[in-house]
Amino acid sequence: MANINWRTINIDALDPESSYNFDLSTLTPAVLPVSTQDVQTLSGQIRQLLRGGNAEGALQGALENAPYGADEQGKAAHFSAVTECLNQIRQAEMTPLLQRLYKTEAGSELCDTLMKYLYKGMSQGANTPSNHASAKNVTPQATGFSQAGGRSFGGGEGGGQAMSVFLSWHEKLVEMVGPGSIVRVMSDRRTV
Amino acid sequence: MSQSLRPYLSCVRSTLTAALSLSNFASQASERHNVPEIEAATSPELLLNPLVVSRNQDERVLVEPSVNSVRVSIRIKQADEIEGILVHKFMRFLSQRAEAFFVLRRKAVAGYDISFLITNFHTEEMLKHKLVDFIIQFMEEVDKEISEMKLFLNARARFVAESFLTPFD
Amino acid sequence: MLLLDYGNLLIESLLKDRFAPGATPTSIDQISGEFDNTSFHISTPESKSKILISLAIKCYPELVKYGAEEVLQREYGSLIVQPESGYDFSVGVDLEQLPESEEEKTDLIRRISLMKRNALAAPFEQAFDEFASLQEQARQYTSESAPQGVREGGEVRAIHYREEEAIYIKASHDRVTVIFSTIFREETDRVYGKVFLQEFVDARKRGVQNAPQVLARDDPPLELQGIPGIKAGKGEVTYVTFVLFPRHLTPQRRAEVISHIETFRDYFHYHIKASKAYIHSRMRRRTADFLQVLRRARPEAEEKERKTASGRTFTVKG
Repeated sequence: MANINWRTINIDALDPESSYNFDLSTLTPAVLPVSTQDVQTLSGQIRQLLRGGNAEGALQGALENAPYGADEQGKAAHFSAVTECLNQIRQAEMTPLLQRLYKTEAGSELCDTLMKYLYKGMSQGANTPSNHASAKNVTPQATGFSQAGGRSFGGGEGGGQAMSVFLSWHEKLVEMVGPGSIVRVMSDRRTV
Repeated sequence: MSQSLRPYLSCVRSTLTAALSLSNFASQASERHNVPEIEAATSPELLLNPLVVSRNQDERVLVEPSVNSVRVSIRIKQADEIEGILVHKFMRFLSQRAEAFFVLRRKAVAGYDISFLITNFHTEEMLKHKLVDFIIQFMEEVDKEISEMKLFLNARARFVAESFLTPFD
Repeated sequence: MLLLDYGNLLIESLLKDRFAPGATPTSIDQISGEFDNTSFHISTPESKSKILISLAIKCYPELVKYGAEEVLQREYGSLIVQPESGYDFSVGVDLEQLPESEEEKTDLIRRISLMKRNALAAPFEQAFDEFASLQEQARQYTSESAPQGVREGGEVRAIHYREEEAIYIKASHDRVTVIFSTIFREETDRVYGKVFLQEFVDARKRGVQNAPQVLARDDPPLELQGIPGIKAGKGEVTYVTFVLFPRHLTPQRRAEVISHIETFRDYFHYHIKASKAYIHSRMRRRTADFLQVLRRARPEAEEKERKTASGRTFTVKG
C-alpha cells in the first residue's frame, strides 16, 4: 500500500453520490436487446433486396431496423450492410432518394439514423493504424535516400475512396435536414 | 480546390456548426467553478458522442462536444518525412503561442496534430460562424503552407546544389 | 551570398587596413575562428609594425603527414616564422618591408587570408599528384594486366578536421574520390540534409553534366572499408562522396577545385540552417495571418452615440 500515490486516486469514483458515477443507462431510452443472430438474418435480407436492385428499399429497411440493442459484433454486421447500400447508390440518385425517405412517416428519424451511420463510417479510419508510422521508414532507393515527389491533393489512397462516399452522402443529407440532425447524433445515447 | 477537399471541409463546417451550441454550465463536481466539461470529464452525462470527419486515413477531424465546451482535433496529412517534420514544427510553433489564439489547446489530443478547445465563453464573445470560418480556413491554409514550404525546400536545395557544382563545370 | 568565400574575411580586412598607404601602425590582438574549429590569432607581439598571424587547426599533425609543410613553404616562403605557442603555424609580416606595388600587396593579403585553405590543400594536392602518376602508369597496361597497386589506387588520406567529421581522399588512375563524413545534430537537419543531398546527387542528370559525380549514403562506402575509426553498417553518419574526374584534375584547374571542394561541408550546413531560418520566418508570418482571421471572429464594439438626459450629444474636442 505504501507505494500508492494518494493524489492520483480518483476519489469521485469511490463516491456513489458523485456525478462521476452518474448512471448513463437512465438517459438511454429503453431499447430491446437484439441478438447477433437476428442482426445477421436481417443483414441477409437487406443484401437480398440489394441484389434484387432495390437499393432504396434495402437502405430504408436497414435504417428502420437499426439494432440499437445489439452488441458490438451485431452493430458491426449491420453497419457493413448499410455501407453496402450506400455504396450501391449513385451520386445522382442520392438527393431524390433522400427526399423520398424524408417524406415517409418517421422520415426525420430515418435521416438521423442515416447520419449516425455516416459518422460511424468516417470514424472507422481512426481506429485502423494509419501510415503516419510507415511514412517514417520509407524504403531507401538505390542512392540510399528517398524523396517523394510533389504533394498530391488527390487523396484516393488510404480509404479515401470509402470516405468520399460518406462525405457526399453527408453533404446531401445536411442540405436537406440541416445541422439539427447532427446535434441529434451527438446527443442521442442510442448509438449504432 | 480538389475534388474531395470541398465535401470534407463542408462536412467539418456543418459538424462544427452543430457542435458549437454551447451554454454556460457550472461544474457539478466543484462548487463555484466553471470548467470545460470535455476536459474535466467528471460528469459523463454532460459529454456528447464524439464525431469524426475524415477524408482519408491521414486527414481527419475529431469533434468532442460537451455541454459547455468542444474539443476539435485536426490531423494533418503527412505524406513523407519532410512533411512530417514541417507539420510538427509548424504545429509546435502555433501551440507555443496558444494564449494569443484563445481557442488553441496547448497540447494536441493523442493521434492528432493540433487541438482547439472552444468554450461557451469563446462563443459568447466571438461570432460563432466566424469561429467556424477560422477553423476551416486554418485547415485549408495549413495544407497549402506545408506544401509550399516543401516546394520551397526542394527548390532551394536544387539551386544550392547546382550553384555549388557549377564552378566545376 | 550563396557561395562561401575561401579566405578569412577578418584577416583580409585587417591587413588591408594596415597595408593602406598612410595607415599608422597600431597594436592588434584578435582571434578569429572558422566553422571547423580552426582559429587564427593576429597580433603584434614585438612592435606595432610587425604583424604575426598564427593558425591553429585540429588536424595539423595529419596535414603535416600529407605534406602540408611543403605546401605552406611554397606559399609563404620567407614569411614563415617560429610557430607561436598554442598554434601550429605562423607567418610574420613586417609593415616596413612591404612590397612596393599595389598588386603585390593585394596578392600578399589574399595569400595570407587563404592560410587555412592552403594548409588543408596539402592532402588534395598530394592525391592529385598521385592520380597523375597512377594515370601515367596505367597507360602502360590494359585493365586486366594492371598490377594491384595501379588498379586499386593509392591509400586513403583521412583528415579528421572536426570532432566527429572527416574528409577522406583517395586517388585512382582515373579519378580522385573525396568523401565527407558528416553528422546531423537534429532530426530536422537530417531531413533537410536529405533533401539537399538528393539534389546534389541529381544535379548532374539535370544539366551540370561536367560536375563531379556526387553520391550520398548513410553507411560507409566501399572505399572506406577497413579504415580505422569507421563504423560499419548504417549509423548516424552520412557519407557524401565526390568523384573528381580527370577534367577536374588538370594543373590549371586544380587550385580552384581544391578551394571549392574544401568549402562543401560548411556550405552544405550553412544552407540547411538558412532554410530552417527562412521556414521559421514563414511560420511566424502565417501565424500572424491566422491571428488576423481569428480576430475577425470578435464582433466590433459598436460605437453608440451617447446623449445626455436633455438630448444633447457629446462631441470630442480635438
